[in-house]
Amino acid sequence: MNLYRPELKRFRFLRWFDFRSWRLGMLAYILNRVTAIGLVVYLYLHLAVLFLLAQGPSGWDPFIQIARTPWFLMLDVILLAGLLIHGLNGLRVALTGFGYGVRSQKPLFIALMIFAAIVLAVGVFKMFMG
Amino acid sequence: MKNKKSSWGWFWQSVTGILLILLVGLHMIAHHFVAEGGIRDFQQVIAYLSNPIIILTELAFLISVTVHAMLGMRSILFDLGLSPQWERVVTYGVVVIGGLTVLYGFWLTYAILAQGSAPTAFLFR
Amino acid sequence: MSLQVTLKILRSRPHQEQRYDTFDVTVPDAANVLDAIEQAWAHHDRDLMFRHACHHASCGTCAVRINGREKLPCIAPVKDYDGGEIKIEPLRNFPIVGDLVVDVAPFFQNQEASDFIITRPTENELDGKAIAHTQGLDPESAPTVPFNRFENCVECGICLSACPTMSADYKFFGPAGLAAIKRQLDKTTDANEREKLLHLADDEHGVWRCHSAWECTEACPQSVFPAESIMALRKEINAQRFKKFFRL
Ligand code: SF4
Repeated sequence: MNLYRPELKRFRFLRWFDFRSWRLGMLAYILNRVTAIGLVVYLYLHLAVLFLLAQGPSGWDPFIQIARTPWFLMLDVILLAGLLIHGLNGLRVALTGFGYGVRSQKPLFIALMIFAAIVLAVGVFKMFMG
Repeated sequence: MKNKKSSWGWFWQSVTGILLILLVGLHMIAHHFVAEGGIRDFQQVIAYLSNPIIILTELAFLISVTVHAMLGMRSILFDLGLSPQWERVVTYGVVVIGGLTVLYGFWLTYAILAQGSAPTAFLFR
Repeated sequence: MSLQVTLKILRSRPHQEQRYDTFDVTVPDAANVLDAIEQAWAHHDRDLMFRHACHHASCGTCAVRINGREKLPCIAPVKDYDGGEIKIEPLRNFPIVGDLVVDVAPFFQNQEASDFIITRPTENELDGKAIAHTQGLDPESAPTVPFNRFENCVECGICLSACPTMSADYKFFGPAGLAAIKRQLDKTTDANEREKLLHLADDEHGVWRCHSAWECTEACPQSVFPAESIMALRKEINAQRFKKFFRL
């Protein structure tokens, strides 16, 4: 299906997924959007789970038994990765929008992602070994 | 030229975003790296929340994360090239959802503190 | 020497199914993709719609997508696409008129909105060094700020086709249009004019809709750096906001 036929205007949103170019900036854009949606979903799940806290120890403490299992920690790793990618890439967007690093956005992105990877590695180590 | 309003969405998105880098960092460290066992049990939560500064930080986190999330969702939807009517629906929609989210967060904080009869529960009276 | 190439061209006409047609053509070694398209038109299908004028990247008329990437086929050597087919499609984000021809009217409307008149000022420097002035021109009065070279823009529409934001939001002002606003802003010191230009850029579907994918700058064949202009406009507007904010 060619998404660029004018009569397909109603399906415009599908063109978001037309990532023909996998150049760095586009990659950053895709990552930011995917993590954004993921983090919003997480935020509401998190707020829903916290409802258990309002029921006192009998509501909360059984839950943390599950939350301390390695399987659950894996979810935390995904969360941490999402936060790091979104936060640091967002920092690049904010900085360039305020006029900093405009001509070096690519090295900036790479440096920030390397930093994200390091923090993630440290975080994972602390989570499972700490 | 059309009589149009300037747009502050991006500006607040950045400001809350930069704030969030600090607040999320704090939140993650406080809840997952400092806490023993990776997550606090109920008594530990109450003990943690007995510090008013912690409560204020958590509430600041709640507000900025909600504003950031709502502006972000609005922005994603605006990318669709909506009609002016739908744009208005989306804008009011995120204001309402965001408002409800913050209210829920405040209520939750109060409910938790009241459950544990924490000394800081008075903050919400 | 000559090269054998296969062109795979996306054909479209109103009320007809789109399809790809392939053409085997022979072109000289040094040929560009546009030459190959012309061969296909000349020897295989006189019905093929495409557009060109200058043949040397100064008119911006012929822009298409070659193997998925926005290019000016007049300066894209066939040799770069050695072996296999060369897939040629019209630009994205524009209404298709037929085959490789798209309707660029919306693009020019946005360009016009900035009141930018495309004439190049005299060159005062070359690669950062001052160059000799012709008699009668006062070097002192020459502009000293190095302008972002918006004048290079050939209005090919490539940046609009490459932009991911443009693809979903047809209301987006577009990289070239925003670059024109930035260029016009550099040119004027008149407060009213500046206000008007910034107001034009400061819109939900103006400078703030951009998601910093930098595709326009990557794809632009003329080093106009539209993304950098967008960032410069944001900086300008944000700086004003900060001032306003703290004076309250
Ligand atoms: S800014 Fe570059 S890509 Fe965009 S229309 Fe001008 S020359 Fe073409």
